[in-house]
Amino acid sequence: MDAFQGLMSGFQVAFSLQGLLFVFIGVFVGTFIGMMPGLGPISAIAIMIPITYTMDPTVALVMMAGVYYGAIFGGSSSSILLNAPGVAGTVATSFDGYPMAQQGKAGKALAIAAIASFTGGTVSVILLMLFTPVLSAVAVSFGPAEYFALMFMGLTAIASLSDGSTIKAFISATLGFIVVTIGIDSQTGTSRFTFGNANLLEGIDFLVIALGLFALAEVCTLVLNRKDDSMNNNKDLGSLRISKQDLKEMSGPMTRQSFLGFIIGVLPGAGATIASFIAYITEKKIAKNPDEFGKGSVKGLAAPETANNAATSGAFVPLLSLGIPGSGTTAVLLGAFLVLGVQPGPLLIQDRPEIFWGIIASMYVGNIFLLVLNLPLIPYIAKVLRIPRPLLISLVIIFSLIGVYAISFNTFDLYLLVAFGVIGFLMRMFSFPPAPFILAFILGGMMEQALRQTLTISNGSFGIFLDKPIALTLIIVSVITMLVPLFTKKKKANVEKNIDESV
Amino acid sequence: MKKLAGIVSILMLLLAVGCSSQSSSNAGETNENGEWSPTQPIEITAPAGPGGGWDTTARMVSQVFEQEEIIDQRLPVVNKAGGGGAIGWAYIAGKKESPYHLFVASPPLVLVPLNGQSEYDHEDFTPIANVIADYGAFVVKADAKWDNLNELFEDMKKDPASVSVIGTSSPGSMDHMQFVKIAKAAGVDVAKIKYLSDPDAGGLTAVLNGSVDVYTTGVAETIEQVKAGKIKVLGITSEERLEGEVLEDFPTAKEQGIDETFVNWRGFFGPKDMDPAAVKFYEEKFKELNESPAWDEIRKKYGWGELYMNSEEYSEFLKTEAESMKTLLDELGLAR
Amino acid sequence: MFYLSFYQKEVKEMLKKMNQRIALILAAIAVFYLFLSYNLPKYPNAIIDADVVPIGLGYLLLFLSVLLFLDKTVETEAEKQKRNISKSNLLVLGVVFGFILIYISLLEILGFLLMTAIFIFGCSLFLGYKKHVTNGIVSVVFSFAIYALFNYLLRINLPSGILPF
Repeated sequence: MDAFQGLMSGFQVAFSLQGLLFVFIGVFVGTFIGMMPGLGPISAIAIMIPITYTMDPTVALVMMAGVYYGAIFGGSSSSILLNAPGVAGTVATSFDGYPMAQQGKAGKALAIAAIASFTGGTVSVILLMLFTPVLSAVAVSFGPAEYFALMFMGLTAIASLSDGSTIKAFISATLGFIVVTIGIDSQTGTSRFTFGNANLLEGIDFLVIALGLFALAEVCTLVLNRKDDSMNNNKDLGSLRISKQDLKEMSGPMTRQSFLGFIIGVLPGAGATIASFIAYITEKKIAKNPDEFGKGSVKGLAAPETANNAATSGAFVPLLSLGIPGSGTTAVLLGAFLVLGVQPGPLLIQDRPEIFWGIIASMYVGNIFLLVLNLPLIPYIAKVLRIPRPLLISLVIIFSLIGVYAISFNTFDLYLLVAFGVIGFLMRMFSFPPAPFILAFILGGMMEQALRQTLTISNGSFGIFLDKPIALTLIIVSVITMLVPLFTKKKKANVEKNIDESV
Repeated sequence: MKKLAGIVSILMLLLAVGCSSQSSSNAGETNENGEWSPTQPIEITAPAGPGGGWDTTARMVSQVFEQEEIIDQRLPVVNKAGGGGAIGWAYIAGKKESPYHLFVASPPLVLVPLNGQSEYDHEDFTPIANVIADYGAFVVKADAKWDNLNELFEDMKKDPASVSVIGTSSPGSMDHMQFVKIAKAAGVDVAKIKYLSDPDAGGLTAVLNGSVDVYTTGVAETIEQVKAGKIKVLGITSEERLEGEVLEDFPTAKEQGIDETFVNWRGFFGPKDMDPAAVKFYEEKFKELNESPAWDEIRKKYGWGELYMNSEEYSEFLKTEAESMKTLLDELGLAR
Repeated sequence: MFYLSFYQKEVKEMLKKMNQRIALILAAIAVFYLFLSYNLPKYPNAIIDADVVPIGLGYLLLFLSVLLFLDKTVETEAEKQKRNISKSNLLVLGVVFGFILIYISLLEILGFLLMTAIFIFGCSLFLGYKKHVTNGIVSVVFSFAIYALFNYLLRINLPSGILPF
């Protein structure tokens, strides 16, 4: 059966009454659970698995896929409104989304996120449809050496994630890297820096750091400004109005990041988080006005939101065509497939074309549903910010606490959350940017692992990187991009200094 | 402002003191024949977060018990994640003698304590019944130069550093130990095995793109890739060949002349010193579950093998299991 | 004019000291971390052992804190402003964190429902929310909704505590 015929049968599934209904249920449940504290796509899928037992596998999987990308879609609301990223993929969204919401443009921020998500989702489904068989080779092309190079490239962007002191940005990043070394070392089984505390053996969860450094630190600032009620009088809060200028600004990042995010999503292990960070960083690097980033830039919000949704579709490439789950979430999704008696892998497209193409076709429909479902709700969701400050503060605190408690059901993590809240507040007071901290925390662990895997394979020789063209290219590119701004900055600084002195 | 803070704090504290004094000490009913039956909900702990193997098993068992009305009580599943299980075990260890707390366990209950990462081991709990068994598989790329375990182990005997092995979990845990156990029986110097771990399940990718030579994993994960002709299974760790399409083609290590097996068992435990009458009750209920068609269906769905052991058989099994693992870990320099 | 520049100089000195103080603390952290790293148990068969990366990170942090100590850039007015917190505000922050700690310590004893309702009501009250009826309704309804959603709809059990459901 050729691809066109396959796709047609896929659309038949997606547009059947049953198909439409369950795609809708899937994305609805997905966005809803995605908005809940601490419940990301993993729990959303795990929760839905038992419901699918008696269902027709095609319909069930179309629904589960909807739950997955729906949850990523819904996750951005708390990042934008409360600075409380519920899943790793939406941390970068808060960098510009939250400032924009704080400027009274919450509705606009949510609308931009929704449109960017929709674009990223839709463009990447087209790519998924056209290139899955070709890309399955790309998905397994990355070995440990290549992953090390990719993580390294992400880390070199640290300097560009801060406006202030570069030294402080690097210190933040180093501290983030240090924190991720806590726990059992996967390569040797040695427990590191746990002080004999069993709670630390699995390391500190990402959400503890994100909700501590971002949400709780923000709570502190809110407490200090608790008398501010500017949001109450702001009539535009829920307004979705996006100007033509905004749309023009968004189009560039959205196009680029749909592709880039998708490619990164295809690589197992990289996924939505890394895609969103790399999107944010590249857009900041090539922007004409990088100073606006972090202060409510339209581009800075559109880029990571496009990329994380595009990466979500990208993750379906190794899952569907190879049966390889690229992340914890897709591993649970793989479990959902197995429960229904469907084994994703190289043979899926031949054996069960209606499932393979049905999922892809349903993703078009699902993305439209998500947009239609979310846009009308935005004015109401945005009103969250109109809740009187004292009550809002209490609710954000509870939101963060539940978010962390739902990971391990263990109060130890909650104390850690408070500790990172305090650290986050201190970092703010002394102008240490939190973004490099969390970026190093996310990338550092994987980078250390990839480096040590590589060197174990090569029996300790660094020469292995010279034999791997992809890895070598990535490393060279990242070194160049790191060095170039250092020189140009110096020049600029010198010029400024001269001006100062002459005055 | 200060006053208000004080009042609220005191209110919270008072409530806590007032309420913590009442503790539940309802131990269920034992009738004159010494038969025990539960009178309140039974909590099943999964010592991991939602979505993993332990969690799935716990939720499925709870579901079948409730829906088939094998046990006439609710069986809520509670997740206690952390420490590779250690947090959950510590939680159960604190529920001394309670007949209302069960938890699901598998080889990590033996291995994690031996690695020095949990103060509680299997002897601190009451084994109730084993229900599931899985087996390990050793996988190489389809065009690899080895066609069976003996060829692979021959090369590893000559130069252990020439072959790299990857698994999902860290050294000293299941993926590593199942390989070590078989390799040791074949005469390989196990301390020199080059083992990498990839917790993000990148093992299969690493073997497919040729970065790593051997992937040690569970049998079920290999089927589809074998069907597609991408990988070959050199050997599996079960006693006899398994049943089912493709599965039946996998040679055991035993039939290749390596006299060793490894079982990835999964079963249920209670706190230490659980009332024998309660243990007996659960033992029978698990037997009933094991024989029910509903459970059979679930087992097939997830590709779980059947292995029922009652409490006594289970403790014997665990004893020998722990001893053999301890010897191996000592040799690897991992026992702590 | 003279006074102004004198004032600026003093501020500069002080802030420089602030950065230097932070640098010292970070250096202390780095040394402590290095000490722990060097004392990690050795794994006899590893080609790259567990201590390699931490040791590298320790020295990196030490190096960066030296750089920070020597750094001459002066903080901007906006950066300085962030630290300008009144005593009473600091006290309020402390109390809120106190509430959070009480919440955490009692969560598994009293149960999610009770603690959450008390926390939302108490914390909002303390921060100056005057509409007691609304506050009461929100705290109770919100806790109930989340609890019902998790425990009954999603079957993820939050601690029930002393309440029977």
